[in-house]
Amino acid sequence: MDVKREEAGISLATTAGRRPWRQRLPKRWYAHVILIVAILITGFPVYYAAVVATQSNTQIFNYQLTPSTYLARNWDLVIYERQLPRYMVNSVIVALVMTTGKAALALLAGMAFVFFRFPGKWLVFGFVLITLMMPTEVMAIALFRLVGIRLQWGGYDAMVVPFIASATGTFLFRQHFSSIPAELSEAAQIDGANPLQFLWRVLIPISWNAIAALFVIQFLYAWNQYLWPLMVVQEPTLRPVQVGLRTMRSGTETGDSFGPLMLGAVLVSLPPLIVFIALQKQFMSGFALTRDK
Amino acid sequence: MRKTFLVLTLLLLAGLTLLAPVQAQGCSADAPCEIDALIGFTDHRFDWAVERAAEFSAMFPQYQVNLESFGDYEILLDSYILSQEQGNPPEIMQLFEVGTQFAIDSGYFKPASQIIAGRDEVLGQAVDFDDIIPVVSSYYTIGGDWSSVAWNTSTPILYANLNILGEAGVDTLPTTWQEVETTCAQLQPLVDAGTVNGCIVWPNHGWFFEQWLAQQNTELVNNGNGRDARPDQVLLTTDAALNIVQWHKDMYNAGYYAYSGVQRDWSGAVQAFNSQQLPMIMTSSASAGGIVRNATENGVEIGTSNMVYDDEVGWTGNILGGATMWITDGLDPDIEEGAMAFLLFFSNTENSASWHQISGYVPVRNSSIALLEEQGWYEANPNFLTASIQLGDSQVTIATQGAIFGTFVETRNIITQAIEDAMLTDGDVAEIMAAAEEEANVLLEEYNLLYVDE
Amino acid sequence: MYAVSPLILLALVALAGGGWSAWRARAQGADPAIRSRPQLWGLLGAASAAVGAAVLLAPLNFCPFELDGDGNADQLNVLIGIFLLVAGAYLVHRVVMLLVGRWLRGEGLPGAGETRPGTFRGPAARLFALLCLAPTLTILAIFLYYPMFDTFQLSTQLARLGAPRTRFVCMRNFNQLLSDPDYGRTLLVSFFLAAFIVVFSLAFSLLIAQMAYRPITGGRIYRALLVWPYALSPVIAGIIFQLLFHNTAGVLNHILDTLFGFEVSWLLDPSIAPWTVIVASIWNILGFCILFYIAGLQNVPDDLLEAAAIDGASAWQRFFSITFPLLAPITFFLVVTTTTYAFFDTYGLIDFLTAGGPVESTTTMMYEVFEVGVVARNLGSAAARSLLLFGIVIGVTIVQFRFSRGRVMYGS
Repeated sequence: MDVKREEAGISLATTAGRRPWRQRLPKRWYAHVILIVAILITGFPVYYAAVVATQSNTQIFNYQLTPSTYLARNWDLVIYERQLPRYMVNSVIVALVMTTGKAALALLAGMAFVFFRFPGKWLVFGFVLITLMMPTEVMAIALFRLVGIRLQWGGYDAMVVPFIASATGTFLFRQHFSSIPAELSEAAQIDGANPLQFLWRVLIPISWNAIAALFVIQFLYAWNQYLWPLMVVQEPTLRPVQVGLRTMRSGTETGDSFGPLMLGAVLVSLPPLIVFIALQKQFMSGFALTRDK
Repeated sequence: MRKTFLVLTLLLLAGLTLLAPVQAQGCSADAPCEIDALIGFTDHRFDWAVERAAEFSAMFPQYQVNLESFGDYEILLDSYILSQEQGNPPEIMQLFEVGTQFAIDSGYFKPASQIIAGRDEVLGQAVDFDDIIPVVSSYYTIGGDWSSVAWNTSTPILYANLNILGEAGVDTLPTTWQEVETTCAQLQPLVDAGTVNGCIVWPNHGWFFEQWLAQQNTELVNNGNGRDARPDQVLLTTDAALNIVQWHKDMYNAGYYAYSGVQRDWSGAVQAFNSQQLPMIMTSSASAGGIVRNATENGVEIGTSNMVYDDEVGWTGNILGGATMWITDGLDPDIEEGAMAFLLFFSNTENSASWHQISGYVPVRNSSIALLEEQGWYEANPNFLTASIQLGDSQVTIATQGAIFGTFVETRNIITQAIEDAMLTDGDVAEIMAAAEEEANVLLEEYNLLYVDE
Repeated sequence: MYAVSPLILLALVALAGGGWSAWRARAQGADPAIRSRPQLWGLLGAASAAVGAAVLLAPLNFCPFELDGDGNADQLNVLIGIFLLVAGAYLVHRVVMLLVGRWLRGEGLPGAGETRPGTFRGPAARLFALLCLAPTLTILAIFLYYPMFDTFQLSTQLARLGAPRTRFVCMRNFNQLLSDPDYGRTLLVSFFLAAFIVVFSLAFSLLIAQMAYRPITGGRIYRALLVWPYALSPVIAGIIFQLLFHNTAGVLNHILDTLFGFEVSWLLDPSIAPWTVIVASIWNILGFCILFYIAGLQNVPDDLLEAAAIDGASAWQRFFSITFPLLAPITFFLVVTTTTYAFFDTYGLIDFLTAGGPVESTTTMMYEVFEVGVVARNLGSAAARSLLLFGIVIGVTIVQFRFSRGRVMYGS
């Protein structure tokens, strides 16, 4: 059953194992050096943000590069007073629902494009294809007129529903399914499986990598949403993290601390990072698979 | 048949859920009515407001006042408009002075005088608007009506780090543009030595431009600064306007004005001053609380003086800045009463005085000033008096009353941008301001097309 | 009153479309099915061009050609009108002739004949397919196509959020933009930023991926650390970099000053600030590119590289003749996504890092849409800006498609 995943597994295994000519090369110390340098450079801003999270304003403005003792105070402010956890919960809910919904709809649509014939398919396909080039950002205002003003949505519904269909996901699955040997669906039909059974018993089990890959990308997309919730969600208890972070920043007529803001920023970056680390392997092979022609 | 029945039941249920909130009206201690208010502070000033809201909710258990905090007034206004358009506005919003005309045009709010309707008190909270200081009442009374309830009023003043000034041998604070330049020249050795990063900072923000315009007794828009009739011209190419921008540019070119490169960078400016990288700052008197506290913690002595003016033109007066509290129109009468009572409580004599003490905003009531004097507050904290003196000494003219027009918020940003362009490019000041004026006029024309009845 | 009567315009377009089609039908190499009916072909061409010309302009009542109160025609408006006329005529003509041509040649409609063994057949299967597609199509129609349509409508109006009324202003919003030199600068800034963000993030990520994709001690940790910046949203990236680059409080200048004795006006100098934005953006997006390159590199068959190594090809030669061509699809994908990122997602970063300044040197088109539409609530102008941005990005994508198609073919 699990043909493609095994194939991928095998190819990964070969990349890992059989490499005599490379073993003859000198030790790959240079790779470590380049990686470490790269990580030092890309990691410095994150490190500095984490350091600032433990500082008071005066220390920040005196360029102190080592952690200090204000973490507990900043923590209190961010967690209890500004209620970051509440925003976190909102974002987790939105991201999970949106991502799951996207994966489900995209899976169905991808399946319809690959395993079925119906009149006007090219038209429908074009209809979806064109939306790849229609970024929601440029239409945010018109979308607000529809969702915010006409439908009067202002919570999870407004954050999730308009984005639950994904052209990217549809194409990911379409490509993925196209690479599946035709014998598989033929065999399923000979066995008398209906399309639903085929989807459930055959397609989904061999698609976990692609689903995971989509999940990682879309989770990040949902997590990082900023402009749209900023416009449409005015109820403070429903705001997602990126908008909630704004309340940790201050601009009015006084110097407020960077410490809490940076603490918030670092904390907010953790969930997507955890998702990525947990699904790293599936993600890698999921996208590797879709590359196949 | 069964289907029809099902549909009818569903419709009935839907109807009931729609009616439910209406039936549950009437505020009581068991089911307190929520009053949401948007506040444009995130720091200790917000905490102060939260404490007052809690006190009020304790006094009136039938109300629950919730405050939401915003980083700045612009974001707050955006949020309010968006939630209005979504049909779910909060009951109270804090609106900065430049939004006044827009707020009236928008039709979102009910004027305070209409709610009070001539009463002396609302739910036991005294009204007494005669107690409000004249500079505030003249700004916010429009067509004889109180549009909103005054809360925080400020004016820009100059703060100096006396320790650093002392190091350079400066013993008097500058009060004019010319004196600032002399002082900065005296401080230059410290800059060269790397002790400080520059001489003076103020946020690049149109507010300062407006203040300097008023100091030179010049209007920002036509038709009596918008107070005689709706204006249709923004005046950015007057001699006074060009004078300000030119001075800005000269100060920057001389290396005296330390620009962070970010417009409206209030916090950056204060932080640079607080961390002793810059010896002088001009910013809102509302920063006094934070600045003085920070200075005490770090053993710095702070001196304050008026917002510096051009000695060659002279000083007429300054305009107030700050914000007032507006009540949404169309509220349930019970909630409206509660909201008004809260605002009156919020700005009563004791609260205005305590608000001044923690923030540095000017007390808006004469009785509060009297109370503070009685307590000996000003003697112990002379830096907190500077703003009141500046506003108190201001002559009331058309220019110092401040402009009223619908696109004030946007025009401010255009001015801020023009000043940045003038400082950072070689462009001619007059040309830059002419372009800015044209842009502002187009906006105003468009605004009038949409808001003004023919 | 019109500068030119709409009927005359439509007649001209029909004449041109019909003439062109008839000429094509007679030309050498035309399909026999078409060549035998040049009159029909010409008529069809004329009709489709006229319909196309009217499609965009009729709903506007041909207003770009209208005279103003003083009886003068605005040249720019007329130019915009002609553009709409020609663009509509070209697109509709092209599509209609393509489809009818296929039909005449008996080829059927594109895509309909796609047969694959193993497809489900029968009305039940068709219904199932419809049900599968329905949610996606419904959502796309309501939440993408309709707002798109509304954006078109808004762009012809003077509209402010919360204003009691809107006014139809025809092409005024576009006219203002096109005659504003600042808009040209915004355009340049957008392209400048996008070009460097795309090129550098791809180059650096490929280099790093080359190091990280092979099994290496601690590979998983390296990868997670490298990806971390991507887990930070552009907004947070903007905040962190503001702290790093701040003119008075920035730690980076402090380090530079201590080590080398000089400082850089990261956010203050209009010629440096765009680079600051570029650096921050690359930092933000790099992890994403690295991920995909790693995934791609793991799929490059080892035997090919080994064979080349045995043949004595140097590492560079192996990279350019084998690895890079094989990575072409991934590179193409990343070019498209990083372009999208650079055009559409950087506004959050810019908002917090430079707020578009200094002297608008980092004001991109998207940032302006945000400023004008959301902050200043000027909906009509923002819609016009959105549409121009949209058109430009489609243009860029098409160019990338054309370019990469050749490359990919060449590569594989």
